[in-house]
Amino acid sequence: MPTSVTSTTVNSDAEAYEEEHVHAIYDQIASHFSSTRYKPWPIIAKFLDSLPSGSIGLDSGTGNGKYLPLPLDRPNSICTIGLDRSRNLLKFARQAGGKKRDVIWGDVLDLGWRTGIFDYAISIATIHHLASSSRRRQAVETLIRSVSPSHGRILIYVWAVEQDGLSKRSIPPEENSTGIGRDVFVPWILNQSPENEERSHNPSVFNRYYHMFVEGELENLVQDAVANLGMVVGSAKSSVERRGVEILQNGWERSNWYIELKRWQV
Amino acid sequence: MRLIAHHILACHAKGCTSNNFPLKFSDVESQNAEAEFSPDFLKGFYPKIEWNVLITTAKEKFIKFGEVSLPEEQPNLEDLDEETLKKIHHVLLEIDVITGKMSCPNCGHIYPIMSGIPNMLLAEHEIA
Repeated sequence: MPTSVTSTTVNSDAEAYEEEHVHAIYDQIASHFSSTRYKPWPIIAKFLDSLPSGSIGLDSGTGNGKYLPLPLDRPNSICTIGLDRSRNLLKFARQAGGKKRDVIWGDVLDLGWRTGIFDYAISIATIHHLASSSRRRQAVETLIRSVSPSHGRILIYVWAVEQDGLSKRSIPPEENSTGIGRDVFVPWILNQSPENEERSHNPSVFNRYYHMFVEGELENLVQDAVANLGMVVGSAKSSVERRGVEILQNGWERSNWYIELKRWQV
Repeated sequence: MRLIAHHILACHAKGCTSNNFPLKFSDVESQNAEAEFSPDFLKGFYPKIEWNVLITTAKEKFIKFGEVSLPEEQPNLEDLDEETLKKIHHVLLEIDVITGKMSCPNCGHIYPIMSGIPNMLLAEHEIA
């Protein structure tokens, strides 16, 4: 079913806004949502496949945990721990791929683990659910602080304003371009009876909040996060600084912006 | 929640930045969860193991291997034999905590575990 997005304005405290327009919704649509999310995106699968055996990582915003079993041809060689705000999605993530997985009920802005303990972190289709630019920046900072200062790798995907023809969604007409993306509602049509009968006023359509990123916005967010942590963006060779983050790839795929980062220290 | 996650998690309550690892278990119910033995994974993960934490955890009364006796001193990576690796594998990857509590050794904050999922969420006033 084709669906379209509508513009919205974050008119309250960002955290409260996310609670109402993101967290509460995922907990209610978890079962149906999970049944539609099983296919790993190629660049993410390739990233996970490239990690050396023995790596441990964080999937921040794991949803139903579809990336936790990867790489499929080298099972148990790495361990990805999945974090999400939706407890109902975590019930699926805990057994993703039919095996016992390690999951945490937590917030993507918090750092509830040993600083720098992870070898890698992925955040797929998650940061676009945060309702202010400072919270989005803070989420990136948490990812950077979570991975090893010497070799930690990070892959982030967020939804793009720039949509491809294959996408099911149609975007409201372009307004003036500012380098900052668009706050929108994306409807989720529930094709089954809702788990929570309280939503009887309109039981089948759930409007999820997204911040759609424009070209360059994700990279700027990373630049701000890195600077805020007192590090530099660039390669170790080209810098006199001691700690930094290198951008390994930065692009657009299937209506999403993505960026791959690597920490270094000398 | 398998114990490898316990080896990662630390308290992040407001102002709690030192002595916040490892979290201390109480009221634990666990079950055995057989996992495929992967020496490559364990050897790669080995440098991240805090040996004292591991042997303390291995002595927890909910560990069900029989006796998990690990050497008091951490063996060098190249000296690891398969028997020791299998014990580490069992402790980290084959014990699934279903319910219980983890408390911070520094500030005492309690993180509950329910249905195998640790709750690391904090109330707004507790966030660092």
